[in-house]
Parts: sequence; structure tokens; C-alpha cells
Amino acid sequence: MPANESVAWNDLQSHAYYMSQSHISTLFREETDRFSLYTFEQNKFLLDLSKQRITEETLALLIKLAEEKGLQQWIQKLFDGDHVNDSEDRPALHTALRTPADRILSINDKNIIDEVHSNLSRMEEIVERIHSGQWRGFTGHSIDTVVNIGVGGSDLGPFMACKALAENQADTAKSLKIHFVSSMDGSQLAELLSELNPARTLFVISSKSFTTIDTLANAQTAKEWLKKSSYAASEETLISRHFIGVSANPDKVCEWGIPKSNQLEFWDWTGGRYSMWSTIGLPIALKLGMSGFREFLNGAHEMDEHFRNAAFSENLPVLLAMAGIWNINFLNINAHAILPYDGRLSHIPAYLEQLEMESNGKSVDRQGNNVDYKTCPILWGEVGTNAQHAFYQLLHQGTEAVMCDFIVAARRYHDTNNPELQHQHQLNLANCLAQSRILALGDSVLEGAESAPAFKRYKGNQPCTTIMLDELNPFSFGQLIALYEHKVFVQSVIWDINPFDQWGVELGKKVATSLLDALGTERKQPDFDSSTNGLINRITERGE
Amino acid sequence: MKVTIWGNELLAWTAAAALAESGNHVLLVTNEHEVPNEAETEFKVSNEPGLEQLITDSKACGRLKVGSDEEGVIHASNHILALNPDQFVTAERLVARLSQTHSSNLLIINQSNFGVGSSDRLQSQIGEANNQVICYIPDMLAEGSALQDYKWPQTYIIGCTNDWAMLNIKALFRPFSQAVKQWMIMTAKEAEFTKFANTGMLALRLGYINELANLADQLEVDIEVIREAMVTDPRIGPHYLHPGCGFGGLHFQQYIEALSELMSEARNSKLLDTVLTENEKQKEQPFRKLWRHYDCDLENRVVTIWGLSFKPGTASIDNAPSLKVINTLLAQNCRVQVHDPEAMGNIREHFGEQPNLAYFDNGYDSLKKSDGLLLLTDWPEYWSPDYDEILNQMKYPLIIDGRNIFDKEMLESLGFIYYGVGR
Repeated sequence: MPANESVAWNDLQSHAYYMSQSHISTLFREETDRFSLYTFEQNKFLLDLSKQRITEETLALLIKLAEEKGLQQWIQKLFDGDHVNDSEDRPALHTALRTPADRILSINDKNIIDEVHSNLSRMEEIVERIHSGQWRGFTGHSIDTVVNIGVGGSDLGPFMACKALAENQADTAKSLKIHFVSSMDGSQLAELLSELNPARTLFVISSKSFTTIDTLANAQTAKEWLKKSSYAASEETLISRHFIGVSANPDKVCEWGIPKSNQLEFWDWTGGRYSMWSTIGLPIALKLGMSGFREFLNGAHEMDEHFRNAAFSENLPVLLAMAGIWNINFLNINAHAILPYDGRLSHIPAYLEQLEMESNGKSVDRQGNNVDYKTCPILWGEVGTNAQHAFYQLLHQGTEAVMCDFIVAARRYHDTNNPELQHQHQLNLANCLAQSRILALGDSVLEGAESAPAFKRYKGNQPCTTIMLDELNPFSFGQLIALYEHKVFVQSVIWDINPFDQWGVELGKKVATSLLDALGTERKQPDFDSSTNGLINRITERGE
Repeated sequence: MKVTIWGNELLAWTAAAALAESGNHVLLVTNEHEVPNEAETEFKVSNEPGLEQLITDSKACGRLKVGSDEEGVIHASNHILALNPDQFVTAERLVARLSQTHSSNLLIINQSNFGVGSSDRLQSQIGEANNQVICYIPDMLAEGSALQDYKWPQTYIIGCTNDWAMLNIKALFRPFSQAVKQWMIMTAKEAEFTKFANTGMLALRLGYINELANLADQLEVDIEVIREAMVTDPRIGPHYLHPGCGFGGLHFQQYIEALSELMSEARNSKLLDTVLTENEKQKEQPFRKLWRHYDCDLENRVVTIWGLSFKPGTASIDNAPSLKVINTLLAQNCRVQVHDPEAMGNIREHFGEQPNLAYFDNGYDSLKKSDGLLLLTDWPEYWSPDYDEILNQMKYPLIIDGRNIFDKEMLESLGFIYYGVGR
């Protein structure tokens, strides 16, 4: 049954007809204890939905919808390793990647928890070897720089996490520099290579399929750079000392020349955008040390257990997801801003753009039918205090309805003796609270705002969620990302779509390959559409 | 005279032994309440040639006693502070206590390397009335020749501006000052600076010659030829200009680290920091030559190390290149066979029993089935070994000479593969 034909869906529609007339500021006047009614907590992790345009009835209906859609069974399937990724006929077991070693989960008669932990142990050996200065380059000097070459899921997660948790860096990682390279055009890599010392640089080539052209092109450039900068050492030696391959396709890694001893594995049941918890997280482990990385896994596992076991009425991922469903499908809001009030989380918008839009940016349901309701909205974001000087104008006074996630840590710098930084954190908190207050309540927060000219008015009524961590650390960061992962899954269940495939990105790769010939040295007259032909001809002319 | 010496450093024990030998009644307080042993590495009397014997003799004749802090405070009005550089707080407490007991005519000779201005800071604690004086005399002892250095100094650098104290200092050092060419009298702060300046200069020279040697390696020039020519210039001279696999030792390194920190804080200067960083890399240079020789794979190779102490003439392995090289070789899954004429006890204590590390009392035995010999310390007995025996023992005749003690041409003519530092 399509999502929008269920009883709860219809009830929600009727309810929405009434609620869409209401204003969040009115709700606050009617329910003065909204904070205690709509705030949910899980081990120091707070989800505040009180600035959403919801009432208790809304939540009850949303939970009813989740129940009608069989969410509990779907959660069970997800954790049990059922083939929830039906178009690729495989499970999506990112939760297994953070499951403690003493658990058992058999897939095809193999306990994958064992495999997960044996790869984590191998990763630990590598991390310790690098941290102790005993991973040596071709000259015998210690490696002091690691360059992660990957794209999409093999880049965004580790990149975001290394930035977010830089203050939790392991002491043993202090002299280690970690860089990320993803762009296909080589611009990041070229700039970086001009500054690096080849004798002390280790490349981590991360690619699930190990066929991603973006990554392999960068890896090839890195290899040639090393070959040019080293004297006498053979290519085989250079690769064995300066390259690690992380992939679910070991044969391809061997083919590229990286020996088994330098390979870390993950599995086809780990989706790329869900893979930061696997050995793809090597750069994170290199930053935090293995104990920090395990904390990060523990935080995510804690959220997994909560998601799996808590009643929907207090289940953070379910509630966050259903608030989104309410906004998208019933209040017709199709834009979603991610607003971290923390410079360390500057890369979380880009990460969530992939997680949400690549997972749920779909219009065909699991039965192969086109859906006739909205699915994933457009997501974007920026560090809140910077965005205030950029797109907040639109949020406050534009014509688009936008739902906003504010992400902030209650405490920071409290253990330093730096009053200036402590003050800056207060300033940051004040701005976070001020902005969500105005976006939700509008200028009703001011006395006599009605008398201001129209261009100075703030209409408010933009639904806002606040996610507040006690402090940002590997554990809470693990909780945060797992929260969003499960939120995405819950929404996919409501929409009846598969969040674990990404067929929409395939065609572009194919067409690019065919265009490569037209741009190569043995060019033929291009035979595409007139725009493409025209552009190719222009490039050809300029190149001559 | 009566003297109390505070500390558990090379200087404390050397001064105690030498002063007792020349008739003084010395009380040494090593690690009682006031002098907790905060140093990471406890000083070992046995590391220093001749010292242990002299201490035993002085104790036997009753002029040297190791006692408690209560005894130390009242034993004498002359005190020598020979504390570890990180024991400044201890020094402050001690000075306060001494000044209470000895309300006048108290001489405290600070010889600890607390940094520039620290003797003045101690003095300011008690004021200078009634001849309660803190002066500074730099510790100029070199490990391996400490007794010699103490008993036959060339120069005295004295940081003292109080006449009464000067008189006492000269009296105390009379037995050793007969051949002294110069007494350099200055303020305590200037003397502290001088100590720093000397140490830094030596480190810079070593750093410079090693940097030249590495360059010579790349340009395929023999650094020994260059060095021999350099030292003929009287402005340069021969001292501290031997390229090698890095300097070590407890004090030298500590002093340079302190000076480097000062320069970096006060002047934002990286000059000595660079020397220190490069020196740490230099310690692994013999490993790197081996690594490259075997195409970056040392798995299961048998590697011999000759020379484990940080320099010849001492059993001390503090900051010695051998520590780094052994760790690195073990991390690469080599079997490591080591020998040293004096430092076997210390190295065994440091590394303990490990499956891939074998200790040998005989240098030739340590070469059995070896894929390479790394020479890290230029002990005299290594200079002219039985080359035939070396060839017999080794599986593969590779010698990596971290101190440039061997004749490259001759070794090659005997069939060895030879790598030196900068040659």
C-alpha cells in the first residue's frame, strides 16, 4: 500500500489542514511547557522538537503512521542483516561495524562481528605502527603525513570526523598531518604535492569498488610523483612503503599493485556513505588513536541500541525522522538547512547532504512504482554563525519555508583557562538560541514589533530542531551521526523507498566515459546533442 | 672545610668524591625528603670511570658521608646545589630552609642548570644581608671524564659578586685551582648565560657537520676530506666537528633542550630546535642506510650493533642512538645482536629479555650469521678489529659505520660493503 493511502496518513492530512493555519508562537502561548513536552534525551544527548509546528496529537499520529508502515519490523530487518537493499540484493549492516566483539551476527554462516573486529585489529596495528614512527618510507624516515585519497563516502565521513574531533587528537598523533584529496581534476592533489616530502608521505587509497575513476586518477598521480622524487627504489618497494588500500574489492587493490599486507577490507554490505565506521575510518583512527576511534564506535552503538529498543514515543531517530515527514509531506516544506553552531562541525552539512540526498533522493518505491508524494528535501547548510551573514536573510524574510536543524554543544573550553574563548562560546550559544527563537517565533519575541514597517518584520514559523550535545567528543559525535543515519532509514520506510542504493549516479559515469573519447587525442567529430557537440568543439578549438 | 652537597647527579657525586679526597668533610644528600628523586633516569655512579672507587675510598676514610636532609642542613654553612634541571622548586624550598638555620655567612653554590636568572631568583628569596649568598658556577663536567674535569679545570667561571663568598669559593676550590689559567668572575646571570651559550655552540657545530655529511652523502663527496681541510683553519679548529650518528647523553641533551626552549620562547628562534630535531633523525641514519641497502625490507634480517653507550668511556645509554636503532630494527622484525664493552648491563635493563634481541659479551660472537654490522659508538677496541674474524662470522659482509672510524678503502679491498657518515 502506498504511504499516502494509509489511515494515519489521511488523519495526518486532516490534522495538517488545521495545523498549517497555526503559528509556532501561538503554540508556545498555548502550551507554556513545550520544552518539557517535546524534548527527548538519550545519554547526555538532547533532541528539542519544541520549536516544530507540532502538538501532542501530531506526534501521536506520526507514531501511528510509523507503526502502520511496519517500522519496527523494518528496524529488525535492518539489524538482522535482511536484504533491505533490495535493488542490489544485500543487507545494509553499518550497525554491525560498531557492534561489540562479544556479539554474534551470522551472515551466510559467517559471524561478521568477528570479521569486523579482526579488521579493526589490523587497523590498530597500522595505526600503532604509524603513531610510533615505525612505518618507514623508502628512505627509512618515519611517515609523518598521511593523504587520504577517496571520494564520496570514502572522503566525506573521515574528512568531517577529523575536523570535528581535532581537539581529541591522540598525543601520539601530534606530529602526524592528515590531508584529504577527492577532486577528480587533481587541483587539490597538485597543490598538496608541491608541499609534501615524498619520503615521509603515506597515501591511503580508499574506494569500495576500487574502480572509482576520481580516486584512481589521483592515486596514479600520487604514484608518479613518488616515482619521480625517489631515486633507485623500485615501484614495488615504493607502493609497499607508501600506499595502503582500503576497499571491499581486494582483487582490484592487488591489481593496482598494493600488496595484501597493506590492505584493509570492508564488505559489500557496507554502503559507501555508511562506511566511516569501517576501515574507511582509518584517517579518523589515525587522528584519534584507536581508543578514540572505539569511543566513536561506542557512541554510535549506543544510538543503535536506543533506536532498536526504545519506544517510538521516546526514540530520538524516529522522532527526528517523523518531524521531518510532518514538515515535508504535510506542511509542504521542501528545504532543510543544517546549521551547526560549532566551527568543528563545518563539514557536517556536506556529509548530511550525501547521507540524506543520496539515500532518499528517490522517486520510485520498493515495488517499482513512481511515488506521488515528496521524498527527500533539498539539504544544505553552513556553520550557523557564518550562515547568519549569508543565507539567513532568506530564512527570515524569504518566500521559502525551510526547516532548520541547529546542532550545538552546551560546553566547550570549560576545561581551559582561557576566558576569551569561553566568552566566544557563550557568544556562539547566544546566537544559536537567538536565531532558532526568531526563526520559529518570528518578531513576536519583541514588544510592539507589529508597528515596524513591513520590510523589518520577521514572520517566523520556520520549524526548528535543536540537537544539543553536552560536549563534542568521539562518543557524542558517534551518537550524532548514527542519529542521522537512522533518521534517514526511518524516512525511507515511511516513503517505501530503498535508501541504500544510488542508481542515479551511474549514468553520468558512463556518459563521461563515452565523452572522454571525444576529448582524447584521436578525436572524432562529436555526435551528441548540439549543446554537447558545441561545447566539445569549443574545447577542441581552445586546446589547439 | 665542611660542605653539604645536594643532588644525585654526576656533578653531585663527582664533587663529593673529589672534595672529600682533598680533605674536606662532605655530606651528600641524594634523595631524602628535600631532594626527592624526580629525575627520570637515576644517576649511576658505575657509569663513570674511576668514580665508584673514589667514592668507596672516601667513605672508608670517613670524609664522605651520605646523609639525610636534616643532617645536611646543619652539617655546614657551605652548600653545593647539584640538582636536576627540573628540581627548581626543591631548590627554592631548600634555600628557604638553609637561610633559616644559617642566619649569617651562608654560601650556597648553585651548579644546577635551572636556566638563566634562576640563581638570582633564589637569592631574591632570602635577601643578601648578613652574607647569605647564592652564587652560580656552571657544571662543566663531561660524562666519561668527569673526575678529570673536576680536579684539573682550565678555567673557573664564577657567577658571584660578593667578596666574602668569593673568598670562600677560592678556598674551597684551592686544591684544584693550582693550574687554572683563568678565573672568569661575573654575575650569576651572566655565568648561567655563558653555560647555555657554550652548550649551544657545541650543539650547533655538531649539527652543522652532520648536515654537511648528509649533503656529502648525496653529492658523493667524502666528508672526512672536507673535515680535515676545515680544521686547519684556526678560526674553526677541530673540536666537536666529527660527523656521526647523533649526540646523546643526559646533560648535554637536557641543556640544549632547555636552551632551545628559551630561545624559542624569548626570541621565537628555531635555531637550536632544528639542531635537536635533526639530531634525533641523525641517530637513525645507520638504520636508514641498512634499510635502503636491503630495499626497504628488513624482515627476519640479523643485524649486529657494536657500541650502545652514547659515547665511548661511559656506560651511560641516556639518549644514545642505540636505543632508537634497536627499537626501529625490532619494529621491522629483525633479529638484533648487540655488544658494548661497558653498557651491556644498562641496555639489558632497558630492553629486558626479548625474543628478537640477543646480548653478547664478545663482539665477534655478536656477528654470527649477521646481515649487517652497525657501529654506533667509537669505543677504542672497535677501531682496529680482526677483519678476517668479522668476515668469518658474518653472513653478509656489510658494515655501516656510524662514527667514521674505519678506513673505507681498506674495508672495501677486504670484500666488505661499507657505508660511513658522509662518505
